[in-house]
Amino acid sequence: MMTESAGETRIVPDDARAAGLHERLWRSGAFRAVASPLILLLLWEVLVRAGLLDARFFPAPSSVLGELWAMVASGALFKHLAYTLSRVGVGFVLGAIPAVLLGIVMGLSPAVRAFLQPAIYSIYPIPKVALFPLAMLIFGLGESSKWAIVAFAVFFQVLISTLAGVVNIERVYLDVAADFRASRWQAYRTIALPGAMPFIFTGFQLGLGMALIVVVIAENFGTEFGLGYMVWHSWQIFEVREMYVGLIMIALVGYLSQLGMGRLERLAIPWKRAGQAALRF
Amino acid sequence: MKIGIRGLRKEFAGARGPVVALEACDFEVGEGEFIVIVGPSGCGKTTLLRILGGLESPSGGEVVIRRGMEGGGEEGGRQPLTSMIFQEASIFPWMTVRDNVAYGLRLRGADERRTADSVRHFLALTGLEPFADAFPFQLSGGMKQRVSVARAFANDPQVLLMDEPFAALDEQNKIVLQEELLRLWSASRKTVIFITHSIDEALVMGDRVLVMSGRPGRIKADLPVRFPRPRAVYDLKGDAEFGRLGREIWMLLREEVVRK
Repeated sequence: MMTESAGETRIVPDDARAAGLHERLWRSGAFRAVASPLILLLLWEVLVRAGLLDARFFPAPSSVLGELWAMVASGALFKHLAYTLSRVGVGFVLGAIPAVLLGIVMGLSPAVRAFLQPAIYSIYPIPKVALFPLAMLIFGLGESSKWAIVAFAVFFQVLISTLAGVVNIERVYLDVAADFRASRWQAYRTIALPGAMPFIFTGFQLGLGMALIVVVIAENFGTEFGLGYMVWHSWQIFEVREMYVGLIMIALVGYLSQLGMGRLERLAIPWKRAGQAALRF
Repeated sequence: MKIGIRGLRKEFAGARGPVVALEACDFEVGEGEFIVIVGPSGCGKTTLLRILGGLESPSGGEVVIRRGMEGGGEEGGRQPLTSMIFQEASIFPWMTVRDNVAYGLRLRGADERRTADSVRHFLALTGLEPFADAFPFQLSGGMKQRVSVARAFANDPQVLLMDEPFAALDEQNKIVLQEELLRLWSASRKTVIFITHSIDEALVMGDRVLVMSGRPGRIKADLPVRFPRPRAVYDLKGDAEFGRLGREIWMLLREEVVRK
C-alpha cells in the first residue's frame, strides 16, 4: 500500500482490516464462481413465473429440480447414469491404452512415424460420429458398437497428444539414455513415457470430452438407457423437463470427470507440482 | 595409453554443402589422466566428445579406447567404457535424485543392493543425501549439476567425458563444484576428458590442456600443467606460473577467435 504525504511516499503492508465483509466476500473466488449461475437461475425462475419466458421450452428451474428429484427417487436416473459411465469408461480404456503405446513407438521411431502419420492425420479430421453408422454395421446395435466409437474417438486424441509429447522431449534426455546404452524398450519406459506424461494427460482430458460427445449421439440408437437416450427420448415425447435433467447430468459428468482427471494427473506427475518453493542450496 | 585419436575427421551435412567440424585431429590420453580441451566456440569440441562417447560416428580417422581392467564385473554387466556429463540440466525431471543417480546401474541390471550402496556412497560424497528423495525442480542449478556428476560416477565408467559441466553455474558454485569434482576424481583416478571455454578452469582442473583451433577443429597445442595436487582452486589463481600459462593459452586462443 502506498501513501503520500508531506512530499514523501511510504510503502507499507496492506491493512487487511480495511476491507469490509461485503468486499471480502466479493473478492473470494468461490463466491464469485457460485454467484453468477445462481443469479442466472433466479432470473430464469422469475421470468418464467412472470410469463415472460415460454415454459414449454424453458421450464422453470424449480420444476426441473422437481423432475430430477423424482428420477433420483425412482432410481431411473442412476440407471441411465451407470450406462453412460460404463460406455465412456470401457471405450476410454480400449482407446487410450493402444494410443499411448503407439504414440510412444511413433514418437521415438522416425521410420514408423513416416509410415503411419499420413494415414492417421487423414482419418483424424473425420467427425467421429459420422463413423457411428459404420460401427453399428460392424458391431451391431448393442454395447460393443458404442464402446467401439468411443474408443475410436479417444484413440485419436490420445495418440496425437502422446506423439507430440514424445517428439517434444528435450534432446538431451535421449542423449543421456543413449550414453547409458539404454535399449529401445528401456528408452520407451524410462524416457518417452514419463517425458510425454504431461501431454498424455492433456490427450486424456481432450479424449474424455470427445467421448462424452460421441456417447450422447450414440445413445440415440439401439438402447433404452443412458443420459444421451434420456435427452433424445424426451425430445420424442416432448418431456422437456426430463431433457433438462439429462443435459444437467451430462454437464455434471463432464465437469466431474475433468476434475477427477486433474487429480489423477497430479498423482501421476509428482515431479510437476506447481507452487512448491525450491529448496535452495 | 588409454585413448588414441588419429587423423580424426567429422563432417556434417549443412544447408550449403558439407561442414567440416573436425579435421586431422590427433592426440593421446594416458590412463587416469585429467585432460582439458579448450577452444573457441564452434570448434567442434563437443562433437569430439560425442564421438568418444559413441553418440556420433567419425567420418574418417580412428579413435581407440583401450578397455582396462574389468572393475565392474561384480556389479552386474561389464563396466561401461564412457559416461558423459552434459552442459545443460540433463538430469531427468521425472525421477528423484536417488533414481537419477541409480539410472546407469539399473539399466544394466546391477544387483539392487549394490546399486543402493553405490548410490548412497555418491550421494554422500556430493552432499546430496538430504535431497535424495527430492525431484529436480526442487533443486538449485548447482545441486542439479551435482546430481549429474554423481550419476556419471555411480555408473562407474572407465572414462568420464564432461562437456562444459559447470558453464551454466554462477562463479561461487562453480568453484565449489570444481573442487568437489577434483576430490571425486582423485579418489577414483578415472580418465577424464573435460571441455571448457574457461582458461582458468582448464588450468585449475587439468594435467594437460589441449588447445583447439577454430573450425575445422584440430589440436593446436598440448600444454602440461604441473601444479601439485590436491589443488585449492583459489590458491592456484595467485600463482605466477598460473598467470604465465593462462597468458600463453590466451595468446593461442586469441588468434583463433580474432581470425573468425
